Amino acid sequence: MEKISITLDVNGKLCELMVAPNDTLLEVLRDDLDLTGSKESCGEGACGSCTVHIDGKPVRSCLTLALEAEGSKIKTVEGLAKGDQLTDLQESFINHGAVQCGFCTPGMLMSADALLNENPHPDRTEVRKALAGNICRCTGYAKIVDAVAHASHPHEGCPDCRPYGRSESKGEE
Amino acid sequence: MRLPRFEYLRPKTLEDTLDLLADHKDDARILAGGTDLLVRMKKGLLSPKVLISLKALNNLSYIQKNDGSISIGATTPLADIIASDLIQADAAALSQACEKVGAVSLQHYRGTLGGNVLQNNRCHNYNQSQFHRSGRQACHKAGGKICYARDEADRCYSTCQSDGATALMALGAKLVLVSKKNERTVDLADFYTNDGIVPFAMESHELLKEIIIPVKGGSSAYRRLAYRSAIDYPIVCAGVLLGATDNKIDKARIVVGAMGRSPLFLAQASSSLNGKDLTDNRAFKTAAYQAMDSAAPFAVHNVGSTLEYRQAMVEKMVFRALTAAATAAIAQ
Repeated sequence: MEKISITLDVNGKLCELMVAPNDTLLEVLRDDLDLTGSKESCGEGACGSCTVHIDGKPVRSCLTLALEAEGSKIKTVEGLAKGDQLTDLQESFINHGAVQCGFCTPGMLMSADALLNENPHPDRTEVRKALAGNICRCTGYAKIVDAVAHASHPHEGCPDCRPYGRSESKGEE
Repeated sequence: MRLPRFEYLRPKTLEDTLDLLADHKDDARILAGGTDLLVRMKKGLLSPKVLISLKALNNLSYIQKNDGSISIGATTPLADIIASDLIQADAAALSQACEKVGAVSLQHYRGTLGGNVLQNNRCHNYNQSQFHRSGRQACHKAGGKICYARDEADRCYSTCQSDGATALMALGAKLVLVSKKNERTVDLADFYTNDGIVPFAMESHELLKEIIIPVKGGSSAYRRLAYRSAIDYPIVCAGVLLGATDNKIDKARIVVGAMGRSPLFLAQASSSLNGKDLTDNRAFKTAAYQAMDSAAPFAVHNVGSTLEYRQAMVEKMVFRALTAAATAAIAQ
């Protein structure tokens, strides 16, 4: 099968590559661009671990052909942080311990990021709705929902939120 | 999971698309959102030689109000339908149904209304991995002569689990199908073949262009039951439309989905509501039981959960949809 030359805009960088028609975006991201943050789990659109943004909207990269993503802005989990500077959402995931095995985390972050871009102060119901398509088999949803709900503003009653929780200078003590 | 090989075509105009469809016919499949098609291809249920992508056709994505109807382009994303005030006001059932399709990040931005209506029938014996299916003989839908869902069945009993189609049938929607030679409009209720293998009365060179919803007043609602609210297909769903003058119902349509090979319009249960009061919960209960009795024989045990449970839940879903529609009608 003929390979086709396309240009993908991934995390702000233009990447020229040759893809087969049956290459999914996920395969191209992981195998050709070495962006292995997005994970393949179910491969049929049920689990959400392959979620990336296309033009700002969360979509399943395992059910998107690479050819169909041409001309769109693609953002993967690697594109969230600016260098070493993590986003509030990522910090919040760390602070809340919203990571167990971590396999679902890239997808969770991308779905949550899309929600926060539209609605910076979601309540728990809105967070649960936005994350409904992401499955965590460690079943740690409570921490994840907290992490997203408290990402843009620390919550007073929450022991995991800085500055109300653990002090920043924990390492020095 | 790798996709099987295929040739990818991206026509720029509707005419080119129809030309390509006419050339390739059964070898080609239309790729819109891909959330149903690509999954089936990955599982080896389907391996078209050619995929015709509708990505470059921008003029098939619209929601438009006409005189007495709303027309929706076939590639309108579900997210646009949910966000549309027009649909919310005049076709609430469709809005509620689209909201329930899959999860936000899966279907709402990629999935299209046309794709949802045309999603192929499903059966938990058939929609499985190649490995799972390789363990036993092919069923009717896979080209064999056996049905695992019903003993000694002579035909395929796969179930239509489309949320959109159930709501649209309750709203009395019509489909506009175009081909290279002609364009025809067909009632959604007449669009089904009653054959689980080829569920739609549509030629391989035809393309679904538009969905037309007549707006004649009245209010509608959609309720469904699924294992998980996101991701899963419905195991029972109901769409209803109630029209009333002076709080007396003069038009009712009850449609039950995920029970048969197509959404089921239940004429007897619907007509039992004529002349009843909008606040008459007992009439709704009676109609819901009647709907359950009429729909139950169509179902077989093939979409998860037990058959008895699904049959019993028809009554609940229809009742909930009826009360929701009645509440909306009173509020108008």
